[in-house]
Amino acid sequence: MGYLWDQLRAALPLIIHGNSYILSVTAVTLRVAVVSTACALAIGLPIGLAIGLGRFRGRRALQILANASLALPPVLVGIGVLLLLLPEGAFGSLRIEFTLQAVYVAQTILALPYIVALTPAAIQGLPPGLVNQARALGAGRVQLALLALREARIGVLAAVIAAVGSTLSEVAAVIIVGGNIQNHDQTLASAIVSQVDAFNNVPYALAIGIVLLALILVLIGLLTVLQQRAGGLHLRFRAG
Amino acid sequence: MRLIVDELRVALPLIFHGDPYLLSTLWFTVQVAAISTAAACAIGVPLGLALGLGRFRGRRTLHWLANAGLAVPPVLVGLWLFLLLTPGSVLGGLGLLATRRVVFIAQAVLAVPYVVALTAAAIQGLGGGLLSQARALGAGRRQVSLLALREARVGVIAAVIAALGATLSEVGAIIIVGGNVYGYNQTLASGALYEAQAARYADAVALGIVLSVLILVLLGTLGAVQHRGRGIRLRFRWTG
Repeated sequence: MGYLWDQLRAALPLIIHGNSYILSVTAVTLRVAVVSTACALAIGLPIGLAIGLGRFRGRRALQILANASLALPPVLVGIGVLLLLLPEGAFGSLRIEFTLQAVYVAQTILALPYIVALTPAAIQGLPPGLVNQARALGAGRVQLALLALREARIGVLAAVIAAVGSTLSEVAAVIIVGGNIQNHDQTLASAIVSQVDAFNNVPYALAIGIVLLALILVLIGLLTVLQQRAGGLHLRFRAG
Repeated sequence: MRLIVDELRVALPLIFHGDPYLLSTLWFTVQVAAISTAAACAIGVPLGLALGLGRFRGRRTLHWLANAGLAVPPVLVGLWLFLLLTPGSVLGGLGLLATRRVVFIAQAVLAVPYVVALTAAAIQGLGGGLLSQARALGAGRRQVSLLALREARVGVIAAVIAALGATLSEVGAIIIVGGNVYGYNQTLASGALYEAQAARYADAVALGIVLSVLILVLLGTLGAVQHRGRGIRLRFRWTG
């Protein structure tokens, strides 16, 4: 245990005294989590509502696709996004490869399936009569969507938490599209990889790991509270 | 799009002509998926059964832990394993870091929460009367376990598929403890990450295509299993 204890003793002061590198990585990570989740919500919520409420052909196929996209390996997303963003790629003129913006794009794509797949699941979990009754009473499309959102809010919130969790812990896509550049577009998770693999700087890796664990625990705590309030609702998330 | 087409034109022949690096990486990946998942099942199914069936104190806490385990970033699991296995630490004498064996271990550790949490969920999803009736009719612990496993088999198979998927696409843990050594202990996912970082995009795309085929096969199997089991819907996400 001597080794672990020594490393911990070296790591804790870094956190307590607010080491500037660790603070900046934490700030970048929080920014990525907020921006990417917000973008994923802006894009995904309307799609999720349409799948959950709509009565159009191909709705089931869309839902299967949304569920399947949860299984998309981040490595693939990273490679796909990078090939689009490289100078010779389709969006190369934006010149955002290996920048924080590229990380936002990749993380948004990875967070999107959570919102698109879990929102309809939450809506379909509502009492079946509710939405139909509102329809029969003449609610318009917007009113219907707002009603469904309000009633399924716990499920939607859980989807948001899952999306945030994935943006916090994803590394593969972040490393590929961002290049894992220190003090620029590193997140807590990708910083751990570079501190261990490139620098063998264990105290820093451990300190960053403790911060990441704290953030994840906060999310798990939120999810637990939500699930207890929702009774039977069980949503899990895994990210990496 | 031109870049993607160009890379594909180089990548596809690598697959069709059976590039030796690609084949050996594929073989290693399949071995890791099979053995790590088998190990995770050996540990996880009994735990999941105990959680799903048992009526002991602390069961709720254990259940919470299993679900929370699903949310722990693979990078953190990799970091903890690294801290235990590094020379000078508790298990440093084993000399496992940067070997092939450590990749199996890391992926098995990551797969265990899937098996435990999803097996327990599948068993809890069984009709309430079934197991109580079996107990009332005098079934012993073993018989009740076997009955529960047989009745919840769709959910258990889904758990195994989710675990397989995780071992296929996680990279966060294995690059930390395995070091992502070219042609030695790389999986398709970590190999693709490596090639993308080395700017050998055609190789990254080739590995990525093979990985997607494996994932699609798993998704198809999951879809077929769930279709036959109707009602049970498990989603999974695996990441790197």
